[in-house]
Amino acid sequence: MANGSLTHTFSDGIMPETGDILMFLLTVAWLLPLAGFVVEVYWLCYSHRLNKGAAYVAVACIGIGFLCSLTALLYWGNATKWAALSEPEHHAHSASHDAGHGEAGHSAEGHGEARHEHDAHAENADDHSHSPTPAPAKKYYTGTYYELARFSGLRVSLDWYIDSLTLVMFTMVTFIATCIHIFAIGYMHDELTEEYEDHEVHLHNGGHFSRPGRFHRFFAYLSLFSFSMLGIVLSGNIFQVFIFWELVGLSSYLLIGFYIERKSASTAANKAFIMNRVGDFGFLIGMMILWTSFGTFQFGDRTEGDHTHAGLFTMVRGQEGKLDVSEDGKEVYLQDAYGHRAEKNGKPLSISYMLLVAAGLGVFAGSIGKSAQFPLQTWLPDAMEGPTPVSALVHSATMVAAGVYLAARFYPVFTPEVLLGIAYIGCITLFIAATIALVVTDIKRVLAYSTISQLGYMMLAIGVAGWGAALFHLVTHAFFKSLMFLCSGSVIAGCHHVQDMSRMGGLRHKMNITAYTMLVGVIAIAGLAIPGTSIGLSGFYSKDAIVASALAYSELNPGHILLFIAPLVTAGITSFYMFRLWFLTFAGTPRDKHVYEHCHENPSIMTTPLLVLAVLAAGCAWGGEGGPLYRLIVDSETVPAAARVASVGAAKVILPSHDGHESDVHHVHSTAGTLALISAIIGMSLAYLLYVKKTIDPNQIRQQFSGVYDFLVDKWRFDSLYETMFVAPVHIVSAWCVSFDKGVLDPILHSAASLTVLTSKWDRAFDETFVDGLVNLVGTVTYNVGNSLKVIQTGRLRQYVMWIAVGVIVLFGALFTTIPK
Amino acid sequence: MDFEALFKQFLSGDVAQQASILRSLVIFLPELVLSGSIVLMLAARLVSLDRIIPTHWFALLGAMASFVIVLFQFWQFGQAQTAPVEVFTGLAIHDEFSIFFRGFLTFFLVFVIALTVLTGIPDDEDAPDFYSLLSGAVVGMMLMSSANHLLMLFIGIEMASVPSYAMTGFLKGKRRSSEAALKFVVYGAGAAGVMLFGISLLTGILGTAQFSELAPRFQAVFANHAGMQDPATRCVVLALLMITVGFAFKLSLVPFHFWCPDAFQGAPAEVGGFLSVGSKAAAFALLVRLTTSLAGDGTGALSQLSLSSGLALGLIAIVTTTFGNLAAYSQKNIKRMLAYSTIAHAGYMLMAVSALLVLQSVQSDLVFQGNHQQNGPRAMEGLLYYLCVYLFMNLGAFAIVALIRNQTFSEEIDDYKGLAQQVPVLAICMAICMFSLVGIPPLGGFYGKAFIFASVYEATNVHWFMWVVLATGGLNTVISLFYYLRVAKTMCIDARPADAAPVTLAASSSPALYVMLVSGMVVFLGIIIDPLSKVALHAAHALF
Repeated sequence: MANGSLTHTFSDGIMPETGDILMFLLTVAWLLPLAGFVVEVYWLCYSHRLNKGAAYVAVACIGIGFLCSLTALLYWGNATKWAALSEPEHHAHSASHDAGHGEAGHSAEGHGEARHEHDAHAENADDHSHSPTPAPAKKYYTGTYYELARFSGLRVSLDWYIDSLTLVMFTMVTFIATCIHIFAIGYMHDELTEEYEDHEVHLHNGGHFSRPGRFHRFFAYLSLFSFSMLGIVLSGNIFQVFIFWELVGLSSYLLIGFYIERKSASTAANKAFIMNRVGDFGFLIGMMILWTSFGTFQFGDRTEGDHTHAGLFTMVRGQEGKLDVSEDGKEVYLQDAYGHRAEKNGKPLSISYMLLVAAGLGVFAGSIGKSAQFPLQTWLPDAMEGPTPVSALVHSATMVAAGVYLAARFYPVFTPEVLLGIAYIGCITLFIAATIALVVTDIKRVLAYSTISQLGYMMLAIGVAGWGAALFHLVTHAFFKSLMFLCSGSVIAGCHHVQDMSRMGGLRHKMNITAYTMLVGVIAIAGLAIPGTSIGLSGFYSKDAIVASALAYSELNPGHILLFIAPLVTAGITSFYMFRLWFLTFAGTPRDKHVYEHCHENPSIMTTPLLVLAVLAAGCAWGGEGGPLYRLIVDSETVPAAARVASVGAAKVILPSHDGHESDVHHVHSTAGTLALISAIIGMSLAYLLYVKKTIDPNQIRQQFSGVYDFLVDKWRFDSLYETMFVAPVHIVSAWCVSFDKGVLDPILHSAASLTVLTSKWDRAFDETFVDGLVNLVGTVTYNVGNSLKVIQTGRLRQYVMWIAVGVIVLFGALFTTIPK
Repeated sequence: MDFEALFKQFLSGDVAQQASILRSLVIFLPELVLSGSIVLMLAARLVSLDRIIPTHWFALLGAMASFVIVLFQFWQFGQAQTAPVEVFTGLAIHDEFSIFFRGFLTFFLVFVIALTVLTGIPDDEDAPDFYSLLSGAVVGMMLMSSANHLLMLFIGIEMASVPSYAMTGFLKGKRRSSEAALKFVVYGAGAAGVMLFGISLLTGILGTAQFSELAPRFQAVFANHAGMQDPATRCVVLALLMITVGFAFKLSLVPFHFWCPDAFQGAPAEVGGFLSVGSKAAAFALLVRLTTSLAGDGTGALSQLSLSSGLALGLIAIVTTTFGNLAAYSQKNIKRMLAYSTIAHAGYMLMAVSALLVLQSVQSDLVFQGNHQQNGPRAMEGLLYYLCVYLFMNLGAFAIVALIRNQTFSEEIDDYKGLAQQVPVLAICMAICMFSLVGIPPLGGFYGKAFIFASVYEATNVHWFMWVVLATGGLNTVISLFYYLRVAKTMCIDARPADAAPVTLAASSSPALYVMLVSGMVVFLGIIIDPLSKVALHAAHALF
């Protein structure tokens, strides 16, 4: 590999610039939105409400950020001679190498451990003969910005960690954010006023609430969000991720509650915030376990002086991507950066296997919250109360994908049990969300459920070892989903804030740019392709990759066949509801004349981003798994993801290998692709029949399956379930608490207070009579004595001088009598 | 060794003599600079130069220059680690101790001159006279602090006293002022006479007036005599007692304090502030030097001598402190109250000297050796620290009195009611000074007192009587609380009567800044103790 020893070039001094330059560019891209936020949040201090400047500042900051990120990506490519784009040999190598050395074989054999040690030593010696670098090639750059604190061995710092995934994420986030920022200039135009009337807020007198416009504030929040999101991606340790994790949570809270006067908006903001805290609780527990057991938060290895400290990933996986499990399977030995077992005071460091599982599940709990996975999925549809650009940026393309990003980053720490859990969570989520999307009529909510469903796909992919597929889908999804959200925003803006699809129809005649860019998005997400060829839009490739991974997985693990069937069926459902959305909105005849007549296409500031995103949504995944995007992502793939790995543990699963022509995934790829395509085409055809041809009346089906329909409309009754499971008990308990407080605690406090008052009264009486009397007595006596001393000071000079003589004589007398004879 | 003889020696061409005198003159430079500034001021008056350049500039520059020279000498001494140098054929001595006091006095002079400039007590006409007297008195005090000869002791005291008399009566038009000055002069003359008699007795018996010779001679003369049966012993005790009277006058110790309240009440507050700090510091320097010389190495008869004199001073200290504090109680005039307060403080400081002598009496005792080697210097350190804090807190109090007097023409405590509402700066600074005078932490006064009480406590190991001293000191601190805080309470809590004369002082005006600086130093010395206490300890070591 040309980029073979990147990390270590810092200490070697051979190629010191690359990492530093990348760091510089990405840091600029990261910090610019923060600067923008500071400027925008104080906007009214130096400008007025009607000024669009805040938006321009925000666009400039994120736009320059995009240029920096793109430059960084290109620079990185040049520095590595675009080696990532060609078929990497190390994967082939590791595929064959790992085939026999899976964890199962390793731990099952009694002498496996010894052999491993032998290998490690041999390899290490081999390394030393070549170069002083302690470990084999790593493909990331990492470093520290600032050390916050150091507690003996433990340190908390702000780090950066850059690999191809970071670069792709940066470019994707900044690009989409730029498009959405520009779109928002048009969309938020209403707010450029001193007197904004919010038609959704009804006052008691029947009028509407009105307030000054908040144009600048919206962009300030967007900038804060961009800064935080980029912070997550750039973070070099899990603690820092957590900081920015919470910051995106905050931005999301602020943006969902942007129309804070609407009760639905403020409730949704609270719901999102609280749901995320539930997940973050797990995240915190995971971090505590990591901190306690590993003593570091750092992702990558860190060279300090001539010693390299192993990061989390190296500690768990060593140099070869294997867990060093003890013979009884209860302990996992930690490894240092030199390929040995890490030792402290001569004892090998280890972590209990169950604790490692708990840590993985904990961190994944954070992902569940942020990515709205089952069972915390209910906040995301409600989050659509925020302005549509926010839904596009925060709640579909970037922030919610951060959960997937984190799970992918943390892949090396996840044990097979955790991965199985992730797979099932993803599987459940994708199915539930897709079914609900079938019946929803609010255009944004359909997209919201589809987002949850697609995030479920990504999680599933991670769970079935389709690491690259998951992130591939993350990027493609970001493009087509942000496109679709912006289209829906365009529709909403064009129809004057009508969101109900049942009142639309035939809009393609009036909004053709919006309609056809939307169609691109719909085709992309449905995963349609030209049958017989493998040419399709981006979603086709990425979903294909996921379904293939799932199929390979279920072939290796027949017990988990559901993990293949659910995504396959859901692919059809997805196709159905997305086309339903498009047909209901844009095709057919107008169902609401009033809406149709007032509807209009939006100005170019809103449609241009649509066109740009449509192009990318169609073509970003060009070439599929041989294409540049997938190759770039997979270049960062962590070692254990590529090869077939079998596990013995609680979950006896075999993770499929997916790289190279001999891999498990490759074998089933065409099968999976065909099945998925068939499923999608069936879905599309059904939608066509139901909503365009109207051969079957949807209302009839609705009546026939009214039970199922109501169940779906009620979102699988999750909200009512949580209401009875959590909210109602909390209300009951708090009612008890209140009565306890009022009936028991308050009387105790009151009696204590009156007792204190009583005691104080006594104390005061004592104080005033005895203590004060004593003090006053002392005062009076001394005063009187002092007063009487005045008598001596007569003012007569004669007497004064006489005292000199008297004094001498008296003193002499005193001495004469006291000094011993 | 009179001046003519010195001059002749100088002219006679003896190189060694010339070098010695030259060296003495160089060491004497701070005093010479001050004297030079006096000559300049008076000469400027002759040619009416004082109309163009205000006289206080001469005085201020002279004082600053001499302070800088002392600082330089201090630095030089620290660099070279030289032994004490006897100058002018042994009349004076140059060591860290004298440098410390000369620095203290010139620094103080700068502050006093600044105060008089701010309050404008000498008008343009009288300024040359006033500043000549002031600087002259300081020269006398500096001589006191470096005296090494009984004659120098007397000359120093007189040179410090005579200008003080004149300054006390400087407000010529005021009857009370003139009366105070007259009382001061006559009382001072009486005390001086007694002291001079004592000096002649001592010199006659011991046959020397040189401080360094006193102890050996005493040892030699009294090697075989003991007890008060011996006439020579009685004579020496009487002589020492009479010399003590001179000190007691300068320090206003009971029962030689009678001049003090009258003089302070009659004199302008600025002069009161000057006398209370300056002459007290110089007198303590001289007293400490004389007593440590007399105590010598504390062997044989000297041990008895130093123990007795220490206890005697302890007794005087008890009486003085108690008397001063009690008498201060019922005073209505703030200057008179402060006069009694200075008496009380002289008593506290005398406790340090008493403790020092008591500790010195056992310095040759094997039981106490080693363990208590540091106690003498420690007691001195306490005294010096106390003096430094006292400089700021007392000067601050007098400065505030002077500033208020300039506007209300009153020095009655009752007229201070509610000043906090009109001039919060003065009220707060006054409160700081008062709290510090009581000795409340974390103000400087607390640490001064704590150091002194600590050494008195050490001395309790030697003699039980020091317990009485310690107890009295502690008790007196409590008593003094009443009258100090009365002032603070009057200023800060009471309401200003409607008919009271208004007082205005901008917080950024220079008098206010001056007061803030001085009381700020009181706070500072209560927080940052180390630097000054180290310097004080260093200076104290020169004596042992």
